Amino acid sequence: MKFDPSIARAASPVAAMAPVIPGQPVRQDVSVASAITIDRLTKRFPVPGSGEEFVVLHDISLAVDDGKFVSIVGPSGCGKSTLLNVIAGIESYDGGSVTIHPKAGRAGAEPRIGYVFQSPRLLNWLTVEHNIRFVLEAQNVPRQRWQELVAKNLEMVGLAGQERNYPLNLSGGMQQRVAIARALAIEPDILLMDEPFSHLDAITARKMRFDLMEILQRAKPTILFVTHDLSEAVFLSDNIYMMSTKPARIFKRVAIDVPRPRKPEDATILDLEKTLVREFFSVVEAKD
Amino acid sequence: MASRLKSIGLRTGSIIVLLLLWAAAAELMNDPQVLPGPLAIARTIVADFKTPGPEGESAYFDVGITLARIFITFSASMVAGIGIGLAMGLNRLCERSLLALIPLMLTMPTILMVFLAIMWFGYSEAGGLVAVMAVVTPFVTVNMYEGTKAMDKSLTEMAVTFKAPRSLLLRKVYLPQLMPYIFSAFRYAFGETWKIVALAETFGLKFGIGYMFFFWFEQFDMTQVLAWIIMFVVLMLILEHGVFARLESRTFAWRASVAR
Amino acid sequence: MRGRLRQNKTGHRRLPDSIGRMLPGVLTLTAGLVVWKAISLFFFPLFFPGPGLLLQRMIEIYSDPASYVVVEETLSRIFAGFVISMLIGTSLGLVMGLRRSIEIFFDSWIMVLLTFPAICWAFLSVLWFGLSQTAPIFTIVLIVFPYVAMNIWAGTKAVEKDLVFMARVYRADRSLMLRKVLIPQLMPYIFSSLRISLSLSWKIALVAEAFGAGSGVGQQLIYWFQDTRVDMMLAWGVSFMIVMVLIDLLVFRTWARRTFAWRPQLAA
Repeated sequence: MKFDPSIARAASPVAAMAPVIPGQPVRQDVSVASAITIDRLTKRFPVPGSGEEFVVLHDISLAVDDGKFVSIVGPSGCGKSTLLNVIAGIESYDGGSVTIHPKAGRAGAEPRIGYVFQSPRLLNWLTVEHNIRFVLEAQNVPRQRWQELVAKNLEMVGLAGQERNYPLNLSGGMQQRVAIARALAIEPDILLMDEPFSHLDAITARKMRFDLMEILQRAKPTILFVTHDLSEAVFLSDNIYMMSTKPARIFKRVAIDVPRPRKPEDATILDLEKTLVREFFSVVEAKD
Repeated sequence: MASRLKSIGLRTGSIIVLLLLWAAAAELMNDPQVLPGPLAIARTIVADFKTPGPEGESAYFDVGITLARIFITFSASMVAGIGIGLAMGLNRLCERSLLALIPLMLTMPTILMVFLAIMWFGYSEAGGLVAVMAVVTPFVTVNMYEGTKAMDKSLTEMAVTFKAPRSLLLRKVYLPQLMPYIFSAFRYAFGETWKIVALAETFGLKFGIGYMFFFWFEQFDMTQVLAWIIMFVVLMLILEHGVFARLESRTFAWRASVAR
Repeated sequence: MRGRLRQNKTGHRRLPDSIGRMLPGVLTLTAGLVVWKAISLFFFPLFFPGPGLLLQRMIEIYSDPASYVVVEETLSRIFAGFVISMLIGTSLGLVMGLRRSIEIFFDSWIMVLLTFPAICWAFLSVLWFGLSQTAPIFTIVLIVFPYVAMNIWAGTKAVEKDLVFMARVYRADRSLMLRKVLIPQLMPYIFSSLRISLSLSWKIALVAEAFGAGSGVGQQLIYWFQDTRVDMMLAWGVSFMIVMVLIDLLVFRTWARRTFAWRPQLAA
C-alpha cells in the first residue's frame, strides 16, 4: 500500500481538507468482545534525500476490549503518536490491519473516534460550549441533542457552568478537561489519549487521573492511552502494552487486575510498578 | 532537490504563461493602440536605447538620470531619517516636539507632497528632492525611533560605566542593534523613493523615465508607454531583489534569524 | 483628576496627570501654528497660506453644495476599489496559503505587480478606459490587491497546524474547517488588510483621478496645481485627509474592540 504523503505530512491546511483515506479500509466486524483489534501493523516512512525507508511501526499487534482502558507505555518519540494517528484514520499504513468495531446499533457506520492531545488544542475564539458543538457538528450529531450532550459532558469533567467561558480564561488543567469533555461528547467508539497529562504540573496531573478514573466508572468509554510514565499506566489501565523504539514494537503485554477504585499508593500497585519498571527499562535502555 | 527544481520550474513557468497570455491577448485585440505584443515592446525598447528620443537623448540618458535622482534622494532621506530618528530616541526634547508631526506626515498623500514641493521649489531637482524627503524621511524616522526604543538598555549602561565616548557608543553599541530597523527601513524607503521619483518626473522634472511616461502618454503612443513602463519595472525588480536581497543576507550572516 | 490642583509631597502644587501628558503635544501644536503663521507672512497668501486662510478656504469649499458631489464621487471610487481589492486579494492570498504550487506560481506575478508605480497604472487605465469611472477603480485595484494577497498569505502561514490536525481527526469538513478554524485565525490579518487597503486606496484614488477621471478630489488637486493656487489645493487636500482619517478612526477602532473580545490586547 503506497504511503500517501499528502495525508501524513499535513504540511498545509489543504492537505487537512483532503478526504481521509486510510491505508486499508477499516473493517467493521461485529465481534463483541474487542473494540479495537490491531494485527501485525507495519508502517514505513521514506527517508528524505535517499530512496530508502525506515520502519516506524513494526509488526504491532494489540487488542482493546470494549469499555476497557489499555495503555501503551514507551519512550517518547518511538512512534506512539504515529500509531494513534494510524488508528484515528489520519495516516496510512503499509501492512497488517486495523479494525475498529463500532458500538452496538452503529454497525456499518464510520467509527466515532475521540482524541485528546497533549495540549488541549481548543479553538480559543470559541466558548467552551461552542468548542464542543464544533465536534458535534463535525461528526454530524443531530442538532437537538447538542445542548444535552454539552451539559452532560461538562458536568462529568467537573466544569458545569463554564459553557460561556473562553478557553484562555481557564487554567491548563481546566482546558484539558474541556478537551476530554469534547472527546466524550461525540459518544466515541474509542477514545484515544496521547500523553494528555504530560504537560500539566504533577499536582494537577494527579487530580486529573483520579477524575479520569471516575469518568471511567460513569461513562465506560473504551480508551487507548499512550504514555511514557509507567506508574501512570499502572494506576489507570486494565492492560499495558510495553513498546520499545526504532522501530516501534510491542515487547510485553501485562494485565493489571487490581480492582477499582485504585489508590496510587496501594501496596499491590507499587509492587506491580516495581516489577514492571525493572522489565521495562531493561529492554528500553538496552537498545541504546 | 526535486522540490527546488519544481519551484524554479513553476516560477519560470508562470513568467512564460504571463508572456504567452500577453501575446495571445495582443493578437486577439490586434490593435497596437490598445495592447501591443511583447515582441513589439522588446523592439521598441531596443530602439529607444539605440536612437535619440524626443529630447535628443537616448534611453541611456533618461534611465541614468532617473537612477541618479533615485540614488541621491534616497540617500538624503535615509541619512535625514536615521539622524532624526536617533535624535528622537536619545533626546527627550526632540522626541516630544517631533512625535506629533510624524503621523501627520505619514498620512499626507504622496501626490499632495509632490505638487507642493514642485509649487514651492519649482520644476527643478530641488523640488524632486523635497518631495521624496517629505514622504520617505518620516517613515525612516519612525523606524529608527522604534529601534531606539527597543534597544537593550543594559548594554548602554555597561558602556557608560566603562566611560565609553559618545562616538564609540554610537558605533559599537547602538548601530549594531539598530541594523535590522535600518535595513527594513532601507527596503521600504527604496520602494517608495523610486515611485515618488517617477511621479515627480511625470509632473515636473525634465528628462528621466517618468518624463518619458508622460511624453508618450500625451502622444497616445501605447507602445512607447508600455515600453518605458517595462523598462522601469524590470530595472526596479533587478535592484530590489537582486541587489537588496543579497546585501541583506550578507550583512546578517551572523544572525540568520533576523534576515527574514 | 478632574482639574483640581493636587499637592505632592513637597507641598508644591502639581498639574493633574492628564494635563501633564497632553501639554507637550498641545505646546507643539500651538508652536507649530505660530511658526506656520510667521512663515506665511513672508509669502503671498496664495503661495503659502497661513492657518487662518486655509481654514477660510475649507469653509468656502464646503459651503458649496457642488463640492459634496466631488467628494462623493471620489469616495465611491475609493469604496469600489477597496472592496474589489479585498475580495480578489483575500481569495488569492487564501488559495496561495493553502496550496504550495499556487503559491510559487503567483509569487512572481505579485512581485511584479508590487513594483508597478501607481502612475503607470493611471496612464494605462486612461489609455484603455478613457476618462471614466473605471479608470481610477482599475488603478486602485491593481495596486492594492497584491498587498492584500501578500498579507493574507502571510496569515495562512501563521495558522496553527495543531488545530487543523485536531479538526481533521474529528472529521470536520471543508466548510467547517474554513468557518471555525481557518478564518478566525486569519481575522487579524484580514483586519490589518482592511486598514492598509483603505489607506492605500484613497491615496491612489487621488493620483488616479488627477489623470484619469475628469472629476473628483484628485482632479481638483491637479486643477489648482496647474493654476498655482497652493491655498485651494491644500484646502481640498487637507480636508479630504481629515475625512479619511475620521473614517479610519470611527470604523476601525470600534470594530476592532468588538471583534477581538476574546483576546483584549489585539483591540488596541
